[in-house]
Amino acid sequence: MNRINCISINYRNAPVSIREKLQIFPRDLLDLMQRGSEIFALSTCNRTELYWMDIEEEEILGRMSELSGIEKEALMDAAEMIRGKEALGHLFKVSSGLDSLVIGETQILGQVKEAYREALEAKTTSIFLNKALHRAFRTAKRVRTETDIGKYPVSVASEAVELACHIFGDILDSTVLVIGAGDMASIAAQRLKERGAKNLLIMNRTHSAACRLAKELEGTPRPFEALQQELCRCDIVITSTGSPVPIITRTLMDEVMKQRRHSPLIIIDIAVPRDVDPAVEKCYNCYLYDIDALKTIVDRHLANRKEQADKALSIIAAEVELFEKWAHSLNAQDTIRDLFGLMDAYIDDEIRQSGLGNEDAAVMEQKMRTSMKRLVHRVVSFLKEHPSLANIEHTRRIFQLDANYQDRHKG
Amino acid sequence: MIVSAVVLAYVLSSIGFIGYLFWRKPVVMTVSRILFGVSVTLHFFLLVILAGQAGSLPVLSPAQAANMMIFLSSLVFAFFVYKRSTAVMGAFFLPVASFFLSVIAPSLQTGRGVSHAFSRIWYPLHTLTVISGEALFAVAFVVSAIYLIHDSIIRRGKIHTAVSSLPPLRMLDKILTVCLSLGFVAITAGMIFGGLWASSLGFEFNHLATKASAGAATWLAFAFCIHQRFAIGWAGRRTAMITIAGFILMILLFIVLNLMFPEAHGVRLTT
Repeated sequence: MNRINCISINYRNAPVSIREKLQIFPRDLLDLMQRGSEIFALSTCNRTELYWMDIEEEEILGRMSELSGIEKEALMDAAEMIRGKEALGHLFKVSSGLDSLVIGETQILGQVKEAYREALEAKTTSIFLNKALHRAFRTAKRVRTETDIGKYPVSVASEAVELACHIFGDILDSTVLVIGAGDMASIAAQRLKERGAKNLLIMNRTHSAACRLAKELEGTPRPFEALQQELCRCDIVITSTGSPVPIITRTLMDEVMKQRRHSPLIIIDIAVPRDVDPAVEKCYNCYLYDIDALKTIVDRHLANRKEQADKALSIIAAEVELFEKWAHSLNAQDTIRDLFGLMDAYIDDEIRQSGLGNEDAAVMEQKMRTSMKRLVHRVVSFLKEHPSLANIEHTRRIFQLDANYQDRHKG
Repeated sequence: MIVSAVVLAYVLSSIGFIGYLFWRKPVVMTVSRILFGVSVTLHFFLLVILAGQAGSLPVLSPAQAANMMIFLSSLVFAFFVYKRSTAVMGAFFLPVASFFLSVIAPSLQTGRGVSHAFSRIWYPLHTLTVISGEALFAVAFVVSAIYLIHDSIIRRGKIHTAVSSLPPLRMLDKILTVCLSLGFVAITAGMIFGGLWASSLGFEFNHLATKASAGAATWLAFAFCIHQRFAIGWAGRRTAMITIAGFILMILLFIVLNLMFPEAHGVRLTT
């Protein structure tokens, strides 16, 4: 357990100028591998982390410096070194999204899985890190299902989807009008598309930009002049243009709501300055949320996620504890002791069930003990000669020496 | 004995549904649904017993009429309670039903035998249709209350609170529209049957004026809601508010008129 180490260069301690140079893949580390060593590399936009066993720290830093072109000292300044149990806890936290910029996000789990797939292909992980990563995936699943951390959306688009679901039931059949083709509008539209919005209308003052975004999102471009007409037929509006004055006014909305016979409409205004006149909120059955309203909601959700993170940390602590137990059992001496213990238990069971008298039982016990010892001796001798982690793990699995065997091997 | 059992089952079921609203444990919902099923079944047996005692449809007193209304509302609510997306509505309906049921429970028994006037076919048709309409109005009232609560939560952006599992507004609006439409038809039919019953007895209008006016007021409340909903497009909040106002008016008229005129349209109910 104490042999696992981690170096983490993340958004908290390193600027993007350093992070962008540190894209490390398992194939870059193959020549550091020795007998019994293991290494796992995770590179995302917010972090680059290496987890390893039985490799010198100097070698790791040297390779990172070589690959990134950053001086070792600069790397040391930006890096967070974590060792032993804490390193394992850190891996579980990262996989569960608890160490992410947006607490509780799920994208990181996919990135850890992808990095693990690459590590398996490059054969840089073995028993210990394989087990640790499987545990990390299991922990992430537990955190998601046993806490409410994923319940509170923290992006504008997710919140828009949630609000729409509370009004319309779902957004599958809803028509979404996206006004603007900039980054904010495009991200929001992308999220809505991911959540199942099928009917996307894209509108922009520059029609070619609308066409480009519509093509990207498989939506329908609409001319800006058709604003009133589209407002009459859509269910959700997301607007983010650079207009200095409101493009959706109270007068326009009064007319629109009359034409749509006051059917509910959600307007999400993420533009600054605002695209929608605040008085539009007074229109009957019109639900208007501007950037401040959304920020208040998102901040509240972030606070809720932080509360849930405390509960998640206790899950992580429990999982680290379980892993620690497993790791401690991975030594030849304990395994041999457990094997003899198993042998004694078998003999005791047999004698008890045989119903023989004391004398006969003593003879039978003696005979059984001799033959069992001869059998176990072969395994014991092998383990003493080849006490590798793999051999110990295989012995423990074959003889099912761990009480939580079934549970541990679910992955 | 059975009256107490019915009230108890309703109260326990209410507690279960309210508990589910906050705990969200599927087992709580399952138990609450079972209790609701038991409540409705016991309520049905109570109606059978009361009908046996009275020798007619058990709507011979204001308490019995209210009892029948609660039973019919529960039957309508059974559709929602056993459907996953609308099950939480039980947390709003059942406490109201339990409260009214416990208030009327001591006055449910009436004398034996029915007066000649009430043995005519038009009377049970009149009472059943009117009470069905009122039951649908009661359901619309609860749905409206849920609509306004959910609408206010959405406007404040607090959609992840305990009541976040409320049905979507569009669904609530549809339920509201269906209840109001069917209720309007039932009340209209009830008024026609009432008129036929009165003419079969040779009543003059002044005998019926007070209660018939109350019925007309209820009918007008329904008519106004439906007109605004379909003709002007007042979907949602406004329809919900008018429904709540109309239902409260109906209940007040029901209580006040029955206190002032305990005999139905000037005729003694029992012999």
